[in-house]
Amino acid sequence: MNNFLKYATFFLTTLLFLLFIIIVKIMVSSPFFFEKHDLLNEKSFHYSFFLPGSNYTLFNKIKEGAEDAANNMNCAISFHAIDSDPLSFALLASTGVDGISLYPLTKDNEMIALFNKLSETSIPVIQIENQIVKDENTFFVGTNNYESGKSIGKLVLKTEKELVNLVLIYSDKNPGLYSGRTLVEMGIKSVLGHKLGNIQMEKTSLNPLDAERLVYDLMRNNPSTDIIILTDPNDTMVAVQAIIDLNLVGTVQVIGFGDNEIIKEYIYKGLVIGSIVRNPYKIGYTAVMALYEISINGYTSAYVDTGINIITAENLGNNYEED
Amino acid sequence: MKRIKNSLRGKILYSFLLSIIFISLSFLFVLGASIKLQNVADKRFEDEKFLNNILSYLNEIQEPLEDYLSIFSSASLKKLLDATESLEGYIPNSRPILSNKRELMKREIFFLIDSYLIKVDEIIKDKRGRKVYDYSRGFEELSVLYNYINKKIQDVSLQGFQSQLAEYNSFLELFRNVQLYSLILILTIVFISFITLIRNVSIISDPMYKLSSMASEISDGNFNIPDIHLDSVSEINRVAGAFNNMKNGINNYIEKLKEQKGIEQDILAERVRNLKMEQLLKRMELYTMQAQMNPHFLFNTINTGVQLAIVEEAERTADYMENLAELFRYNIRERRFFVPLRHEFQGLNSYINILRIRFPNSLKIIIDTEDEIIDKYECPAMILQPLVENSVIHAFKTKDSLGTISISIKYDSPYLRITVSDNGIGIEQSVIDGLLIPHTHNYKLSSKVMGLENVIQRCYFFYPEQENIINIDSQLGSGTKIEININTEVEPCIAL
Repeated sequence: MNNFLKYATFFLTTLLFLLFIIIVKIMVSSPFFFEKHDLLNEKSFHYSFFLPGSNYTLFNKIKEGAEDAANNMNCAISFHAIDSDPLSFALLASTGVDGISLYPLTKDNEMIALFNKLSETSIPVIQIENQIVKDENTFFVGTNNYESGKSIGKLVLKTEKELVNLVLIYSDKNPGLYSGRTLVEMGIKSVLGHKLGNIQMEKTSLNPLDAERLVYDLMRNNPSTDIIILTDPNDTMVAVQAIIDLNLVGTVQVIGFGDNEIIKEYIYKGLVIGSIVRNPYKIGYTAVMALYEISINGYTSAYVDTGINIITAENLGNNYEED
Repeated sequence: MKRIKNSLRGKILYSFLLSIIFISLSFLFVLGASIKLQNVADKRFEDEKFLNNILSYLNEIQEPLEDYLSIFSSASLKKLLDATESLEGYIPNSRPILSNKRELMKREIFFLIDSYLIKVDEIIKDKRGRKVYDYSRGFEELSVLYNYINKKIQDVSLQGFQSQLAEYNSFLELFRNVQLYSLILILTIVFISFITLIRNVSIISDPMYKLSSMASEISDGNFNIPDIHLDSVSEINRVAGAFNNMKNGINNYIEKLKEQKGIEQDILAERVRNLKMEQLLKRMELYTMQAQMNPHFLFNTINTGVQLAIVEEAERTADYMENLAELFRYNIRERRFFVPLRHEFQGLNSYINILRIRFPNSLKIIIDTEDEIIDKYECPAMILQPLVENSVIHAFKTKDSLGTISISIKYDSPYLRITVSDNGIGIEQSVIDGLLIPHTHNYKLSSKVMGLENVIQRCYFFYPEQENIINIDSQLGSGTKIEININTEVEPCIAL
């Protein structure tokens, strides 16, 4: 009996302390007890990011890079949709932000007027991927479209055809490339020269299946097409699937965009010649870094090229095969 | 502190306080969680109230401004200026950049209000300056800004409400968890308190059972059970200690009583023995008196015989009778147990003179002593003559040759050695052994116990601790030597 009482007391006391620990842990681990600390986490600067509202990997990666950079540099960022919330951009100068970074979709008068208004306030502006204004308060961070065109041209050369007919499909999902399409085409032409036969420009909407429809139309209306060049990862995957469905693998080559696993697998299987890969995370990170530099030092590099990569079956390497 | 903790009061108080503290803590937890929930709700409410007030101020500016611009109303101007001043004072001047999205939005709103107020001021100036185009366009822009601020405030409110809702749900979940664990906690404390109570009761009741069984043993007269040692509260331990002391005290008392009873029994036995001894002595005294009666008569008769022999001129008879009378007189006169050796020697001489008359040719008596010794020491009365008489009577019964009896009295420090030896027929060893046995108190003296045995027993009586007080050395046909060794340094045991 005494032993039972002794062990029962020991067991219950242990349980008691465990319960105390559990309760304290539950309460402390809940967000309510450290809410004030979170609020008091004061930042040095406040920057506004205006990105297209579409939920695409490109913009999400840019956002992710920007957020990481903001955390590392003790800055705060508020994100706005440039397409669905133009008023916020229009009134940006009155919101007390220390810097703006935006992904311009169009180069119209209204946008230029807003840029001019921002220039009057001396608030630094970083243009991502698409440089529509050049002045002392606006800077560029992104990829060089001319270089992108050259990379596409190099991939076309890998087909070793004497004359190639290209279809270049831009997309609303990657507006930066479309807005700089002239440079892209110049880049392609500079590499292909006399080997370039016909080059046809097309554009897909934000609809993820738009590329499939477009490929079907193209193959029906323009059967002489040798290479289809895509500028969005989603469009790449859908277009390749259409080529397979039309049983044109090998007849019509595809140059893709992006580096997701499906595209890599297509490259490895020879369905896609290669893929153009930009680094949106680096773009977002560099944009914040540039704004921070301006806030601290008053200046930064006016043009920052974050570079591109080309993925081919060769440089995909043996690692992919092993996987 | 340890003593207080180990006491019954301390244990009860300790358990009670511990339970109260634990229960209070668990209630504090629940209370703290409730207060926290209230604080969260209050804070959100405060925020909502704050944002609503801003909206009210903006309305108080926007509407009178429109009136002022339309009809130039000074009342409206005053009203809007008051509202402007209030709004300026209401929004915070310190606007830290915080990582919280909602706070960032609020910060943006504050800056937008700043722009709004500047714009209002500009419009009023334009109105006063009659710049119709400017204030008209300004009001248009201001309305856009006003709507934008309104929308922003609504967004912040909505976001606050959404986060509050999510927060509230997670807080409810937390609160339920805390409540559940608190309930288990309280139940555990109740169990612990209950078990502690049972343990405390056991700590008291178990020793009580042991004490009561021990008391039963003692009541049955078993005082030899081992002491009880309890590991209980100090009060009970003290009771057990007192109980042990009581048991041991009673046991010691009983042992003393037994010891006293033994002593009393010894004393009683001693008294009985003394009574017997007294009876013996009285009897001996009676015997002695009886024995003295005849010698007195004989002594008078012998004296008459001496006078008759003198009258009839029979000198040897007179001499014999005179010595016999002397011997009797000595016997009658000495009533002490110890007498000077000189008196004893004189008595012996009277007896020897009688023997010389009786046995002039057949008995030779040799005496070897010194006057100095005879005058210095004492010896038990009536020991020399009976020894010589024993030799005369028994040693030469069947012997025809000349009998020799040697009497020696010597001092061999610290012993006075009295030796009577003869060259008679000797004594058998079995007889010697029988003679040398000390008699007990129960030994019944007969009137026949006289002579050598009498001397031996008296020597044992006077010197009970001295084993060699008397020795008999005898060879059949060669003679007997009887030796008495009196230790002059030891007081004889003559007290009754």
